[in-house]
Amino acid sequence: MTVKEAPINTKLIVRSFHKDDMRELSDIESRLMHLGFMHGENIRITRRAPFSLGPLLIEVRGRSVALTPDEASLISVEVSR
Amino acid sequence: MIPRIALVGMPNVGKTALFNKLTGSFQRVANFPGVTVEKKTGWVSENGEKILEVIDLPGIYSLDATTLDEKVTKDFLLKKENATSADLFVLVLDATNLDKSLFLALQLKELGYPLVIALNLMDEAKKRNLSLDLEKFSYKLNAIIVPTSASSGEGVRELVHSIKSELVKCHHVDLTIPEHFQKVFRSPSYVSNVFKEIDELLNEVTITKLRPDTFTEKVDSVVLHPFWGIVLLFSILLIIFQTLFSWASPLQDLIEAGFGLAGSFASENLSNTLLKSLVVDGMISGVGGVLVFLPQIVLLFLFIQFLEDLGYLGRAAFLMDSFMRRIGLPGKAVIPLLSSHACAIPGMLSTRVIDNHRERLITMLVIPLTTCSARLPVYAILISALIPNVSIGGMPWLKLPGLVLFGLYMLGFLSALLVSLVLKKTLPQSSPSMLLMELPPYRVPSIKNLLLVMKNKAMIFIKKAGGIILIVSMVIWVLVTFPQKDGITQIEQSYAADIGRVFEPVFRPLGFDWRITTALIPSIGAREVVVSALSLVLSVEGENEKGMKDALLTHFGAGTLVALLIWFVFAPQCISTFAVMKRETDSYKWPVIMVLYTMTMAYVFAFLARQIVLIWS
Repeated sequence: MTVKEAPINTKLIVRSFHKDDMRELSDIESRLMHLGFMHGENIRITRRAPFSLGPLLIEVRGRSVALTPDEASLISVEVSR
Repeated sequence: MIPRIALVGMPNVGKTALFNKLTGSFQRVANFPGVTVEKKTGWVSENGEKILEVIDLPGIYSLDATTLDEKVTKDFLLKKENATSADLFVLVLDATNLDKSLFLALQLKELGYPLVIALNLMDEAKKRNLSLDLEKFSYKLNAIIVPTSASSGEGVRELVHSIKSELVKCHHVDLTIPEHFQKVFRSPSYVSNVFKEIDELLNEVTITKLRPDTFTEKVDSVVLHPFWGIVLLFSILLIIFQTLFSWASPLQDLIEAGFGLAGSFASENLSNTLLKSLVVDGMISGVGGVLVFLPQIVLLFLFIQFLEDLGYLGRAAFLMDSFMRRIGLPGKAVIPLLSSHACAIPGMLSTRVIDNHRERLITMLVIPLTTCSARLPVYAILISALIPNVSIGGMPWLKLPGLVLFGLYMLGFLSALLVSLVLKKTLPQSSPSMLLMELPPYRVPSIKNLLLVMKNKAMIFIKKAGGIILIVSMVIWVLVTFPQKDGITQIEQSYAADIGRVFEPVFRPLGFDWRITTALIPSIGAREVVVSALSLVLSVEGENEKGMKDALLTHFGAGTLVALLIWFVFAPQCISTFAVMKRETDSYKWPVIMVLYTMTMAYVFAFLARQIVLIWS
């Protein structure tokens, strides 16, 4: 599952960006990573616009990050138990 | 030589506020509302003597910069432009969000940059119960840490003191970063290690933890609401344009009265008719007619800066994102589009926050359609000539002229959106669009900072009025006064009339006669000059706004005035906008396209508007 499909207001664990230094990261992946979307990090979707095109607001490492659905689909997550 | 220091830090840590506090009014480049996109220079002074040169760099997340404005900072830090560097770096950290701020701190420390750390927003963090072992923190980061509050100015003197004592140590470090570091900065294992280091460091130095900021989340549940958020956004804009008229008018009356006094003083004391005419009609009324709009322009800059400092502009981008993307613009374009309402030049520069090349180009192309503050004087005089100053629906705060002004702003803004929709269909898609931005917590804007911004803006405008506008007014005076016949000026036979008549046939369908075309020529340099140019060609006595209003209506009639108003909604912006766009796109192609399409729109819509008024009346 990616952040795009993940449930709102639920604790999620980031599963993307494995320790794979072989691959060159794109600008957008690098930016996500520097904002704290790292393997194992806890995140939470705090806001999602009613339309499918609308942006999402994610809480990560104590900050609020706005993402488009396309950007959100780059991050794979699973629900934390 | 004066030692040079550079301010670095993440976006939204209060870096620019600290820069303003440090340098006071000793700044070379006035700050534009919105984000810092160019490096700015200022000086710290002591007893009236410059002791430090300060460079404010755009906010940067890490040395792996991706956006254009971040690259300005990265190139400076990595000495890509080897011309300038700094003797010492002042790293600004946000005490309410240390986790975020520390990324850059650890990178710079590791690379051996000579640092002094300003722990900004410490007052706010203390209120939220944060307590740190500063001694240990300083030891771990291998740098002096000074707690500061850029809004109140607390700790700024101590910061200067620490900077001076560090500079004395004078450790000249050669900072040449190997090329392969670029790759390292971007590798997941490196980034995760830095984050781990941050977690460990914070664990060690934190005595009591920061209370989470529930306020921002609560406010956001209204501000970012898909319906109420939009309602709020448009209400804010409406209120801004209403206050532009109502708050500014007493001040404007004062300025007008002042110039009126100067005018009558000059006409009483000058005996030579020609000289009297030059001083009164050329200089005083030319400059006064434009300077009278100073309060409105300064207020507009104040409002935009206020929204930025509050943390609202990013929210506006979030709210508008899905809508904006449908018409070919990213949500982030809201920021340049809003700040273009103050001036198109900072607007063009702030498009650098847009990562996607094509979207950035579209944004720059439509920026000239948003109403910059220089058009405000033109709108104001034409509206006051056309629209009676009455309240609507028995509400004394809702005036018809204010509403019409708002309508004109909306017309410009909506046509910008429409044009971008067309461009979206015509320009080829390159890479996917990005939003990816952090929404900062809400902050109470510092009044001192706002006042400083207002002062800088006012100074720029006054200098412009005393410089280019004064010169243009005098040139136009010469053109409308000569050649004289038996010592008497006949405007219809003047040089100005000759020039205006050359262009008259082209503009006749819009109802523009030689007087308007003559007035339009200097507006290529600065829009607001039209007001004084019109008052000269109409030979309005003094700078009296009422006299100007009546003269406009009797000489041209409603149809032509409406056409002129519409012309200014669309007509290409000043020559400086063209130059900035040429620089930012690095080609003549796009600015030329911009001028051609806006000119065409202006012509067609001005023509249509006049026809409608003529049929209707």
